[in-house]
Amino acid sequence: MKKILFIVNLIAFIGAGECLAQGQLVSRNVLLSFFSSAPIEDIKAETKTGYSILDLQTNNIYFKVDIRSFKFRKGLMQEHFNENYMESDKYPYAEFKGKIKEPVDFSKDGTYDVTVIGDLLLHNVKQNYSAKAVLSIKNGNISGSSNFPVKLVDHNIKIPTLLIKNIAEVVQVTVNVTYENTLAKKM
Amino acid sequence: MAQQTDSVKTLDTLNTNLSSDIPVIATFKSGLIINGQSNETLHKSDLLVDIAHRFGDIGGANGGVHNFYGLDNSTDILISLKYGITDRFMIGAGRAKGAPNGVNTFQKELYYFSLKYRLLQQTENDHIPIAVTLYGNSVICGMEPLDLATSDANFQKFGERMSYTLQAIVARKFSRNFSLSLMPTYVRRNYVSYQDMNDLFALGAGARLKFSKRMAIVADYFHAFRTQESKDYYETAQDFKFYDALGVGLEIETGGHVFNLSFTNSTAILDTQYVPSTSSAWSKGQFRWGFNISRTFTLSKNK
Repeated sequence: MKKILFIVNLIAFIGAGECLAQGQLVSRNVLLSFFSSAPIEDIKAETKTGYSILDLQTNNIYFKVDIRSFKFRKGLMQEHFNENYMESDKYPYAEFKGKIKEPVDFSKDGTYDVTVIGDLLLHNVKQNYSAKAVLSIKNGNISGSSNFPVKLVDHNIKIPTLLIKNIAEVVQVTVNVTYENTLAKKM
Repeated sequence: MAQQTDSVKTLDTLNTNLSSDIPVIATFKSGLIINGQSNETLHKSDLLVDIAHRFGDIGGANGGVHNFYGLDNSTDILISLKYGITDRFMIGAGRAKGAPNGVNTFQKELYYFSLKYRLLQQTENDHIPIAVTLYGNSVICGMEPLDLATSDANFQKFGERMSYTLQAIVARKFSRNFSLSLMPTYVRRNYVSYQDMNDLFALGAGARLKFSKRMAIVADYFHAFRTQESKDYYETAQDFKFYDALGVGLEIETGGHVFNLSFTNSTAILDTQYVPSTSSAWSKGQFRWGFNISRTFTLSKNK
């Protein structure tokens, strides 16, 4: 009996590690970065630890990232970013829930220009976005990238007047995601 | 049904991994609480130029309006440079005026260098619940030998000019507003006055309490475990009492920079002096204003 339970658990475990539901793909290493260009300095930060789920049937797409995982060139900037601007101890995550607008045939190789629409929850403020993205499918491997502007006031992120020349009011966000190809592994 | 629980499980793992081992930041706002070290170190390639100052007694016999509440005097001044070799390891060097009390210590003109290493960082998910940082310094007294046999400055050999501190800083940020630290400390002074102790253990404690978005109260306290024999000798023969060092400060954040308004009864800035040799008391008005002016320069190249 124990043995059977063990095997059942094992199967469940392997299954759980790979896919969520039928036709849902996961990426655990979403590359997210942002860039602020202001008269005094350019600021760039990046993280590779966000995750994403893509539903191939419904075209729904989901991203989640821990704000505290963003890395800066200057350690002090990273501290100020977390403490003074993002208040990441209160609002540690950013989330995006959306949909790929155009129908995509995920089984066919190619490059697709798509529009992703949805809500971004950042600094506890939800805003609707519509961004151009490029999806590329090669041998069943799905990856995507997008670049869109985020206006800090939209998310109630305040810049002190003293630092207005150091931080841009609109920050450019870049997303790069490659989904784990569970279909290929199963074959 | 099984599919359902699997996806919940997967989501759970995804969410756990998302925040795995993210280090807690800003347990304290700088490398120093007031007198003692905090668990914080400099970031890699950051150079800190620091000028620390302790004024004279605000109250008591040497304070009051005729000394402009201590601002006419300076009991100690330290100029130092600190540099982050990695995000966990920093070095420092500096020179202090030194604060001799004229009874158990006469040493002044102090040169020091220090090492500080972040052994453990507290993580947001409490996988590591505490931060542990190790600190050590070596202090060299540069003054002319004093012709007073019972003093700690009657140097015969170079080695007698040396003193050392070894310290572990164990800290935890309990919430966004409250951090606490304990600092077991060992002070070694190669040459001490008559009836003083070459090897002295002490325990320090520090805290930071943020009470508004921009303001916090910080404090640190050091108790040295001096033998009764030594205390009795100084009290009866010299009419001299030792006190624990207590520093209290107000931190005001001004968008990046932290302004610090702090008060302490100890006159010295270096650990090898304020831990074993503090002889001024809060209760007698013998506390002073202290400040640090520091500036961080990031020396790493643009990437």
